[in-house]
Amino acid sequence: MFDINWGGLLLPLAYLVVLVGTFMTFSRVYRKRKAIESANLAPWFGPHLQRNVYLSLLHMEPEEGSDKAPKVPETVIRAALLRRAVEDIRRIIQIRTAKTACSSLLQRGSVGDDLWQRFLRAEKEMEEELRDVVMEANALLPGWGQIIFQSANEIAANKVLRDRLEEIEVQLEHDKEWWDKRRGDVKTDPTPKDQQQPADDEASEKGLAKAGSEDEPVLVETADTPSAAATPAATPPATPQGGSKKKKGRK
Amino acid sequence: MSDLETFDFLPLHIDPKSKAISSTSSASNSSTRALDAELAALNTLHRAIHALDPPHIVPPPPVPVNPKRSANVTKLRESGNAEYRKQHYSEAAKFYTLGLQMALTRPAWEPSQLVREEVHALYSNRAQAHMQLGDWPEAAVDAEASVEAKKQGNAKAWFRRGRCLIEMGRLAEAREWITRGLEYEGEEKELSELLKEVDGKLEEERARRDA
Repeated sequence: MFDINWGGLLLPLAYLVVLVGTFMTFSRVYRKRKAIESANLAPWFGPHLQRNVYLSLLHMEPEEGSDKAPKVPETVIRAALLRRAVEDIRRIIQIRTAKTACSSLLQRGSVGDDLWQRFLRAEKEMEEELRDVVMEANALLPGWGQIIFQSANEIAANKVLRDRLEEIEVQLEHDKEWWDKRRGDVKTDPTPKDQQQPADDEASEKGLAKAGSEDEPVLVETADTPSAAATPAATPPATPQGGSKKKKGRK
Repeated sequence: MSDLETFDFLPLHIDPKSKAISSTSSASNSSTRALDAELAALNTLHRAIHALDPPHIVPPPPVPVNPKRSANVTKLRESGNAEYRKQHYSEAAKFYTLGLQMALTRPAWEPSQLVREEVHALYSNRAQAHMQLGDWPEAAVDAEASVEAKKQGNAKAWFRRGRCLIEMGRLAEAREWITRGLEYEGEEKELSELLKEVDGKLEEERARRDA
């Protein structure tokens, strides 16, 4: 009944084989290329220096002239692990802040897919890294795994605060120099106002400010150096006089 | 961190006596500089951990805090305040400086929030003392540091730096600073008044320039 005409089917079958074959080769090549690409994606973070230090300390090699590796005390190992945890905290914060930005950029199509791939991989790696640190901590001291990241978190936050405060404090030198120069300029500039108002504004900050806002000294200043007075910063040298005067008054 | 199973071996050396870790590679480039900085941080942390009181061999959890240091900081601040009330402003500033040293040398693993609380009050008070002495740059920097430690609910420090900038004649800067302060503090009365004052001065200045 069903007498299949194999001869007639040969052509469509060959067509199918070629079609499927092409698809398969294409998909294989494509996937392989993709895998290589993602393996070669630049890592999100640079080398983890603290982790390298920690592991290097665990695997110290004997130095020249001795056949025993130097013994690293436990305290140093613990400190190194804590440093590693601090760096991890910094990276976690970076990942968290980057995540929302990254995903919204991806949705809008502003960044490529490979960036997102790199990001996901970094996230996964960080999870592994955290687990590893907790395990190491528990191995060094039972129960430390629960608190090491709390400590590390505070260390990281304290570091940020101290760095910022330092940044602010270094401005002082510069500011002071500028101010001394400025005040010097004002002092050598004999204005009639200078004699006019001796120690009368002992009063308060407000009084001082008002003394500064009086036009007269500034007008004198403008007459002396019109070009300097034209810039906004050069206008109120009247105030400094009040300030320095006040100091003298107090002494 | 490309691989979780491997690491880059760094040639490290440990001093047998001081237990200080140093790098043995002699080349000098940016990566060894980073390594040296890291090792210095490691050694500092190690010393701090080493100095812990006996029952602890690793940093204890951030809370509860050892109350000794907080008490000292509070005491120093109160001494400063007492001197300030007696109008001994430079003595007051000295006490505040000591308090700041005490607060900032708190072990790194203790709560940073606590450090911020203590430090903002001390900086703000020292700014006030400097203002009384007419040392505007010092006061301005201290007030800025205070704001850095605590941005919200710190209207005094915002006000003080604003005032210092005005006194130093940096009006444009003062205006910017006060506006930013108002963003954090809402419609704070003194700050708003200060803003009006600056605006008035800027206006005057403009009028003078145009004249």
